[in-house]
This record gives sequence, structure tokens and C-alpha cells, in this order.
Amino acid sequence: MGADPDEELVRRIGAGDPAAVQAMVARKLPRLLALAARMLGDAAEAEDVAQETFVRIWRHASGWRHGQARFDTWIHRVALNLCYDRLRRRREWTTDELPEVADEAPLPDAMPGDEERRVNQALQRIAPRQREAIVLVYYQELSNIEAAGAMQVSVDALESLLARGRRSLQAMLTGDGDD
Amino acid sequence: MAKKPIARPMDAGRFAALADAYGGALHRWPPADQAAAMPFAETDEGRAILARAGRLDAVLDRHRVEAPSPALHRAIAAHAATEVRQQRRHRFWWLGFGLAGVGLAGAVAGLALVTVVAPDAPSDHYVMDANATSFGDAGPDADQAEEDL
Repeated sequence: MGADPDEELVRRIGAGDPAAVQAMVARKLPRLLALAARMLGDAAEAEDVAQETFVRIWRHASGWRHGQARFDTWIHRVALNLCYDRLRRRREWTTDELPEVADEAPLPDAMPGDEERRVNQALQRIAPRQREAIVLVYYQELSNIEAAGAMQVSVDALESLLARGRRSLQAMLTGDGDD
Repeated sequence: MAKKPIARPMDAGRFAALADAYGGALHRWPPADQAAAMPFAETDEGRAILARAGRLDAVLDRHRVEAPSPALHRAIAAHAATEVRQQRRHRFWWLGFGLAGVGLAGAVAGLALVTVVAPDAPSDHYVMDANATSFGDAGPDADQAEEDL
């Protein structure tokens, strides 16, 4: 693993440098907000998750050490955990396991300008772990190794989650089922 | 010098599996697989697989998230100042407790060492009797006592 591009910034935040704080917010807020928005499908909740993630960044900056994971992978994991907390609360899960079964019924054709809402609906209908894999790899552009690390699964398991998630989305959004 | 391994062309099964997982754009595939995928990508079957995966990519790309508002940016940065200051204060207190603990441990260790190593002090009787010598009591009363003999 190469040098962590965020390490110096994290060190400066730990030392109380206000310019580093501004730089970190500018660098990571759009990514964290996008991650949470796609995981939760709700802009207001996504903002809350982004804020809570930054609180953890400020708390841990002075003690953070570059270990197995890059800083960016670590904050993705923190934000995802906060998203799962909200998903569990929202749906009042009685167990720790979120369902793996997706509702693959095709969504109605979109009216012009409505495509975004349709994609959002489809993302919310697939299993959360599949959604997580697609968000990390497709939208956040993490490498397969980084995404597998953030999800604490093997690369093979990640590829399986990606493929199953994309197949469900394909069925809902393009009408291309398994053929 | 060891020869760099040459990537073997990919078969249809593996190619389709990667397209299922990573989509229709080869640049999104794991770098280790891209070179091996190129020859198959140029076949009719490869092009069809990529086109099918690309249709979903095009739909997914329509999902955009609004950029964070300046107010959210300001709120997060403002919170940082308080939080970082608080963390530094905590660290300072823990350092103080640590130093106090080390000092206390040193004092206890020192006391224990003195207790174990130092010889027994003479009893109060000898310490308090400043006239006592190894030859007996050398105080003024002692002379008197000898004269009385």
C-alpha cells in the first residue's frame, strides 16, 4: 500500500490547524454526503451522517495512525456504520441482519426529468449490502481491494455482491433481466 | 532479473463476470484484469457484453447528489474547532494524571526501598540520651556517681 494522501492533513488537524480543517471538509464532505445520500436515499439524513462522520474525524485526528487502512477507507467505514444505524432504526430491525432479498419488479418508466428519482428508488430496493458494494465501487470509485477492505469481505465476495446488485438494478431499470 | 508475467487472454466466462460486477467501461475494472480483457473486448461477444452492462451504467450515471451547501460546510468546520480543542484538553489532563501517577509510584517505591534496605534505627532511649557513650553514661551525673563511690 502506498503513502496515504490524507495523512499529512490528518496530522495537521490533530495539531489544531484551522486551515487543515477547512481543507478536509472541502475534500471529504462531497464524497461523504454522496455516499450517505445513496445509502439512505434521504438528503437530510445524509447531511446528519456527514456531520456525525466529521465529529469522529475531529475526535480521532490526533490519535489516528496510518495502519492497514487508508484514512479515506476508514471514513467510508465510519459513515457506512452510521448509515446502517439509521437503516436499522428506520425499519425497526429486530435482528442485526439486514435482508438480502431485493424487490426486483420493474419500476414504471420515467417521465422526463424523473430518471434520478427512479434510480434512487431502485437503489433503495436492493439489499443494503449490494447497495453498499455498488456505491463504494461504482459511485465512490474505490478500488475493489479498498471496497472489500471497507466492507470487511473478500474481493470474490465483493464481486458477487456487485453482480447480484447490478442484476437487480438491471431488471428494475432497464428491463434487461437474466438472459 | 525476473521476467514480468504476460497476461493471458481472458475467457468469455470471466469477462462476463467482470462486466456483471464492474460494468461496461474497462477503465472501471480492476487494473490487474484490464490488459487481459482487451483481446476479448474486441470480439463481437465481448462488445455485446460490454454494451449490455453499459446500458445500466448510463442509467446509474443519471443519479446525482447535490453538492453540499455552504451552510453545512461552515457548520462542520465550526464544530471542528470546539472538538479539537476539547480533545487536546483531554490529552493535557491525561498527561497530568500520568505524570502525577509516575510521581506517586516513585514515592511509594522509594519508601519501600528505604524500609527494606536501611538498617534498624536505634531505640528512642539511646537517641534521646545525648550523654551516652560506648563506655557508659558520660553525663555530669556520672562523674558525681564515681566520686560517691
